[in-house]
Amino acid sequence: MESTLQSLWLGFSVALQPGMLWYAFVGCLVGTLVGVLPGIGPLSGISILLPITFGMNATQAVIMLAGIYYGSQYGGSTTAILMRIPGEASSVMTCIDGGAMAKKGRAGAALCIAAVGSFIAGTFGLVLLTVLAPPLASLALSFGPPEYTALLVLGLIFLAYMSSTSLMRTLLMACLGLMLGMIGIDNMTGHFRYSFDLPELGDGIGIVPVAVGLFGLGEILSTPSKNVTAEVISPKLRELLPNREEWRQSVMPIARGSVLGFIIGIIPGSAHIISSFLSYALEKKVSRRPEEFGKGAVAGVAGPESANNAASTGAFVPMLALGIPTGPITAVLIGALMVHGVAAGPQLISEHPQVFWGFVASMYVGNLMLLLLNLPLVGLFVTVLRIPYAYLYPLIIMFCIIGVYEVSHSIVDVWIMLIMGILGYGLRKFGFDPAPLVLGLVIAPIFEQSLRQSLIMSNGDYLIFLQRPIALGLVAVSVVLLAMSAISFVLHRKDWRAKLAEAEAGEPSA
Amino acid sequence: MDRRSFLIGASAAALAAKPVLAQDAFPSRPVTIVNAFPPGGVNDIVTRPLATLLEPILKQPVVVETKAGAAGQVGAQFVASAKPDGYTILSHNTGISGYAEVDKLFGRPAKTTRADFIPLARLVADPMLLLVNDQQPWKTLKEFIDHAKAHKDTLVFSSGGLYGASHLPLAYLEKVTGPLGLRHLPTNGGGPAITAILGNNAQVTTQSVSATLPHVKSGKLRPLATFGATRSKVLPDVPTLKELGHNVEYYLWVGMFAPKGTPVPIVTILRAAIDKAAHSDQFTTTLTNAGQELAYLDGPDFQKFWDIDGAKTDDAVKLIGRQG
Repeated sequence: MESTLQSLWLGFSVALQPGMLWYAFVGCLVGTLVGVLPGIGPLSGISILLPITFGMNATQAVIMLAGIYYGSQYGGSTTAILMRIPGEASSVMTCIDGGAMAKKGRAGAALCIAAVGSFIAGTFGLVLLTVLAPPLASLALSFGPPEYTALLVLGLIFLAYMSSTSLMRTLLMACLGLMLGMIGIDNMTGHFRYSFDLPELGDGIGIVPVAVGLFGLGEILSTPSKNVTAEVISPKLRELLPNREEWRQSVMPIARGSVLGFIIGIIPGSAHIISSFLSYALEKKVSRRPEEFGKGAVAGVAGPESANNAASTGAFVPMLALGIPTGPITAVLIGALMVHGVAAGPQLISEHPQVFWGFVASMYVGNLMLLLLNLPLVGLFVTVLRIPYAYLYPLIIMFCIIGVYEVSHSIVDVWIMLIMGILGYGLRKFGFDPAPLVLGLVIAPIFEQSLRQSLIMSNGDYLIFLQRPIALGLVAVSVVLLAMSAISFVLHRKDWRAKLAEAEAGEPSA
Repeated sequence: MDRRSFLIGASAAALAAKPVLAQDAFPSRPVTIVNAFPPGGVNDIVTRPLATLLEPILKQPVVVETKAGAAGQVGAQFVASAKPDGYTILSHNTGISGYAEVDKLFGRPAKTTRADFIPLARLVADPMLLLVNDQQPWKTLKEFIDHAKAHKDTLVFSSGGLYGASHLPLAYLEKVTGPLGLRHLPTNGGGPAITAILGNNAQVTTQSVSATLPHVKSGKLRPLATFGATRSKVLPDVPTLKELGHNVEYYLWVGMFAPKGTPVPIVTILRAAIDKAAHSDQFTTTLTNAGQELAYLDGPDFQKFWDIDGAKTDDAVKLIGRQG
C-alpha cells in the first residue's frame, strides 16, 4: 500500500507538469466534443489524432489519447438527453429516461447527474485500478467464452425488464433485434448470412446506425405528426440543477453503476453498452417504482451513465497490467504506446513506471477537468433546446448522417440508419419501444459466438457452463430470476408489467 | 494572383519539375490510402507513419481512410473498384491473397482476385510463431506434435478468424506434419486470440512476433518454433521450422497496392515515393519501436513473392476446406 502511494506520488509529479496537464486537457476537450457529436466515436477521434502524437513522448501521447476515450463517455450523454440521439453506442440507455426527463423540463438536472455520476464512477474505477490492477487483471483472463455466454443469458433475461411497454411488445422487439444481429459472416464457418452480396454487411449491422436511426431520426420524423406547441422548455438557472429529491434518488444507482460498470469493463472483449444496459435493468429490478422507468426515472440516467464511465476505466486494467486490449480502443492505445517504443505488457509497470503511474495520475486530473468542463456547459447545452424545431431538426438530421457515415466511411450504414429511422417512426406510432431491439442486436452476435466457442472448447458438452465457477454463478443468478418470475406467475400475482399491459389494453396509448 | 501570373507560375513549376508526363503531373491533389483493417492492428501502425512521410515526397496531403470489415474484404473491394488513377491506393496484408479461393470454396462469385491489384511495395514481413501457454508442459515442437497426435481432439487452437492470417499457418504446418487434430477456436482478431490462449481457453496459437513479444518475454507464452526463414533477432533461441525439418514459411506481411489499370508512369512515381519514405530513418525507427523490421520489396519483386505466397495460400485454404 505504501509503495502504491509512493508510486502514485511519482505519477502525480509527472502528471502535474504543465505540459502533461495541457495534453490531458486537450484530450478531455476533444473527447467531450467527440462524445457530443453523434457517430464520431472515440475510435475515429483517437486514430485521427494518433499521428500528431508521433512528436510527443509516450506519456504525453497516452495521456492525450486516453483523455479522448474517457472524455467521450462524458459527452455521449449530452445528445442522448437533449435529443434522444445516442452520442455513443454506450449512451443508448440514457436516451430513454434522459430524453423523458428533458421532456419534463429536467434536462439540466439529467445532464448534471450524468456528469457527476460519470465523475464519481470514473474516480472510483481509478482507485480500484491503482490498488488492484494486477490481481484484477488475472481475474479478467479467467473470463472466457463460457462465462461470457452465461453473462449474456443473464442479459437476455434482463431484456424482459427493459421496456416501459408490455412484456409481449418488449419480447417482440427483442426478437427482431436478435434476428437482425444474425446478419453477417458466420465466424465459425465463413458463410455469409442475409448479406445480399454486400461485403459491408459482412460484419453485421452496426449498432450506431441502428441506434441513431431508431432513436434520433425516428423521434424527429414523428414530431411533425404530433401537436407541437411552441412551448419551449427554458428552465431558469436554479432549475438547471438537480433538486434534493433527484440527488437522493441518484446516489445508490451511481454506486451500483460504478461497481457493475468496472467489473464489466475489465472483461476483455466486453462492450460498454452491455454495462450500461445491465445497470439499467438492475436499477429497474431493484426500484420500488419500476413503472417510472421510461418516463423520466432519475435512476435510469444515473445508473447507466456511471456504469459506462466505470467500464471505460475498468478497460484499462487488462490493457495496462497484461497488455491485452479489451476492445478496439484499447488496442489503438497499445499501438500508440508501441510506436513510442513502450511495449504494453506485464512488464509495463516495472519497466516504465513513469508512463504507467503518470498515466494513472493524469486520469484523476482528467476526470476532475471533465467535471469542471461539463458542468458549466450544461446551461449552454440546454439552450440548444430553445432553437425552433424548424431549424434544429434539419441540423440534427445532417449530424446523424455525417456521424453515421464517419464511423466506417460506409454509405450502406447511412442507408441502414435511414431505414431504421422510418422503422423507428412506425414503431413509435404503434407504441413499441425500440430499446430492446437495439439490445437484441448487441447481444445476438456476441452470444452466438461465445456459445459456439464454448462448445468448441468442451467438444460439444453443455456441462462446461456448470463446471467453471464464474459461469456457474451467473447461470445460478439466471435460474433464480426465472424461478422468481415463475412463482409469481403460478401464484397469479400480477406484477407491474401485467398491470401496465392491462392499462394499455383499456386505453390505447396516446 | 491573377490568371496570367498563375499560368506563368504554373508553367515555371512544370518546367522545374522536369517533364515527367505530358498531362498533369501526378499527384496534383490529395492521395488516399485505404486501410482495410481497424485501428490498432499492424496495418494501422505501419500505414499512418508512412502516410506522414509520403506527404513531403509527393508534395500533396496523404490521407489514411479506414475501411475495415469482413476481414479486410470491404477495403480491398473498395480499392479494386476505385478509379485507377493512383489517387486511391490500398494498405493490405497477407489476408488479401485468400479471398478468391474462399469464395470459390463456397461457390460464390469471387469479389476480388489477386489480379485486381498492382503490388507497389511490401513494407514488413513479420514471421509467425507457434506458441503454447505456460500451463502446457511441452518445451519443443516435437513434444507438442507427438502429444497432439496421440491425443486428438483435445487441444484447442485459437486464431483471429477462419481462413485468416493466424489460421492459415496451422494449415501450412499440417501439410508437412500431417493432421494434428486440434480443435479450432476462431475469434474476432489477433487480440482476442491471444487473450484466449493467455486465459487457457485455448492452448495453442500462431501469432506474429511483434504481437506476442511482451507475453513471450514475461513467460506467459512459449514459442516452440518460428515460421521465418531465419531465427528472429529478438528471439534468437527459438528455432525455425526449417531447422526442425519442416519446410514451411509464413509471414504476416503488409503491402501497398494500386488498383488494376493504374497507368505505368503513376505506378512508377508511387513506387519511388514509397521506396524513399520506407527507407527514411524516421520510418525504420517507428518500425523498430513497434517490434517490426523493414522487409522491403519493390513492386516487381513483391509481385514475384506474392505469386508464390498466394498460391500457397490457395493450397492452405483448400486444405482447411469448408468447416460447415
